Amino acid sequence: MELRKETGMLQILDIEGNFRKELEPDIPEELLLRMYRTMATVRKFEEISMGLQRQGRIGFYIGAAGQEACSVGSTAVLGRDDWIFPAYREPGALLLRGETVLQLFHQLFGNSLDYNKGRQMPNHFNSRKVNVVTPSSPIATQIPHAVGMAMAARIMKRKDVALTFFGDGATSENDFHSGMNFAGVFKAPVIFLCQNNGYAISLPTRRQTAAETLVQKAVAYGIPGERVDGNDILAVYSASARAVERARSGGGPTMIEAITYRLGPHSSSDDPTKYRDKEEVEEWKRKDPIRRMALYLRRKGLMDERSEKKIGDEIDSEIRAAAKKAEGTPRPPVESIFENVYSEMTWNLREEMEETVQRYGAGYTGK
Amino acid sequence: MAKQFKLPDVGEGVAEGEIRKWLVREGENVKEFQPLAEIMTDKVNVEMTSPFTGKVLKLSAAEGEIVKVGQPILEYESDEEEGAEPVRPPAEKRKESPPVQAPAPGARVKATPAVRKRARELGVELASVRADDPSGRITVADVEKAAGGGDSAKAAATTGTARTAGKEERIQVSGVRRKIFERMTESKRKIPHFNYTDEVDMTNIVAARNVFSRRLGEGVKVTYLPFIIKALIAALHDHPVLNSSYDEKSNEIVVKRNYNIGIAVAAPDGLVVPVIKDADAKGIAQLSGEISSLAAKARTGGLQLADVQGGTITITNVGPIGGLFSSPIINYPESAILAVHRIQERPVSRQGRIELRQMMYFTVACDHRIIDGAEAAMFGNRLIEYLENPYLLRLE
Repeated sequence: MELRKETGMLQILDIEGNFRKELEPDIPEELLLRMYRTMATVRKFEEISMGLQRQGRIGFYIGAAGQEACSVGSTAVLGRDDWIFPAYREPGALLLRGETVLQLFHQLFGNSLDYNKGRQMPNHFNSRKVNVVTPSSPIATQIPHAVGMAMAARIMKRKDVALTFFGDGATSENDFHSGMNFAGVFKAPVIFLCQNNGYAISLPTRRQTAAETLVQKAVAYGIPGERVDGNDILAVYSASARAVERARSGGGPTMIEAITYRLGPHSSSDDPTKYRDKEEVEEWKRKDPIRRMALYLRRKGLMDERSEKKIGDEIDSEIRAAAKKAEGTPRPPVESIFENVYSEMTWNLREEMEETVQRYGAGYTGK
Repeated sequence: MAKQFKLPDVGEGVAEGEIRKWLVREGENVKEFQPLAEIMTDKVNVEMTSPFTGKVLKLSAAEGEIVKVGQPILEYESDEEEGAEPVRPPAEKRKESPPVQAPAPGARVKATPAVRKRARELGVELASVRADDPSGRITVADVEKAAGGGDSAKAAATTGTARTAGKEERIQVSGVRRKIFERMTESKRKIPHFNYTDEVDMTNIVAARNVFSRRLGEGVKVTYLPFIIKALIAALHDHPVLNSSYDEKSNEIVVKRNYNIGIAVAAPDGLVVPVIKDADAKGIAQLSGEISSLAAKARTGGLQLADVQGGTITITNVGPIGGLFSSPIINYPESAILAVHRIQERPVSRQGRIELRQMMYFTVACDHRIIDGAEAAMFGNRLIEYLENPYLLRLE
């Protein structure tokens, strides 16, 4: 039997902004501009958030710079009722679906307006409003969840599909194999989007797997796979559109391997200069997905220098204002730590809460 | 007004950082998020940006200096409202908070949910419990001690606290009662018991006791127990396997050459078994004295650990209360227990005539793994011989 390998990589938009007309997806102008704005927002959001972390104003940050096209390009294909099971570099997925930058800052500051009341690790964004499930820090756990949701949708005879994001390292995890296998056997309507950024924290992909590509793992599970330039928003969009169409029409799952690169550190606790050289980073900066999309929009006549700058300025002031607002929002009161575990508070929790209130005062926020 | 900027934790759990390079000068106006300095830590090298828009007044740390997290590194002035300081919500806003009763103001109770549960069961106010641990953490033991009402001897003797609700009373199993639970369960689970019952004519012992009683005079209470102990020891000489225990670890039967006789005593909190050590070397008078002193200690909770340890066989005397005979449970890890009952004048046949004699039933319960039925029966016969012919105790 011949082993089918997808060693090639779909690219529609090159780094100069040239694009292959015959492959160009038909994306409404309004959506294209929103996609661009979202990607640019993610980039600026990261710059400010990393600054907040370095200044000691938030505890932790995980960046997405360089990978914005993966989450934005794939999310753009989904309908409102579809579900997203993210890893942790997908703030773009939330923003494109209508979540606000302010809400993301509430999460980073863990304040009283954070959906999770400050209990989640910073940067583990979720939003019930836009069907984005809360991420777990352990690698690949979201994959079986996505498959389960997809199966549930099918059993309930709904047309919803699930999109799950994970990195190259996740493809070595049991959850990846369990999820892929199950989805393959039962034709679950799910899209497995692997953002292969070359490193699992500091571990390069060649130490992660002996497989030539990650997408070839899909072959083993009888799942169609596509390998795309993850910094090319048009390629990500068109591969995702095919995958979603397949899932929605009963054709089962698809795995997409998006080749990309994170320009910053793994997280605020990581120093990538210890395992990557400068030349490599510089090379990937030339492949920047946002710059490429800007060039594309200019060629399409949807944006010019002036409007690009205007968008940039709007984003900048929106983000700075949101950061200030979130930082000034009170923390959750001390009583809140006793809530949300049981639907009715147990006597021992109540006692503890009363003691805590006695000790710190009602509404104490730690300052 | 001058404000200070302190070195934040720029990584995750870093303790200190080196100022590699200042990117601003004293007197310079800076904008928020403008790079301030390059910081090197053992984890990351970072470009630290400014949290304020304002004027740098003073750089408090030199380039190359290693600074602890939290140490001021820069003085600045800024007209901005400090957005960084979260505003505490007004207290009125939180009227829905639950009413507070419980602990004394300022007191903080350190107790896990399990300990809290126990305190609730025992009706103990946690704030009043003294923690044994220097950290102040209250444990289940502290709570139980508090429930027992103070010193440890009393706590050990306590049966537990009772809660009465409706038609039942629930008694916490603790202290002596808990020990009894454990020991009895262990004995019955591990030892295949059998009982051997017979009756014995105690007329001569009754007579002997009366002699001793007269001899020792008023004020000394002589019971039948010392005589039974002497007869028991004599019978054990002939059947030593009843004076043994089973060593589980080495899988050996340990036959004892000493005679430490446990005496089951009904103390107020439950059964206790003080031990008369080397009873074979002690006379009736001494045994009488020891029995009454141990029994008194047992009833007042004054027994020491040594008083209840080292038994080789146990006697339980049900006689003062009544009963025909019983099936006692062996005091684990011993291999036999002797239950003696009420001495009653009963008509019995002697050489073709009905006579009234002082009769007593006794039961010996044995570990059937160690002691065969025939052995127990022969032991019973020998015990009867000694009790019916007390002079033999002296002659042999």
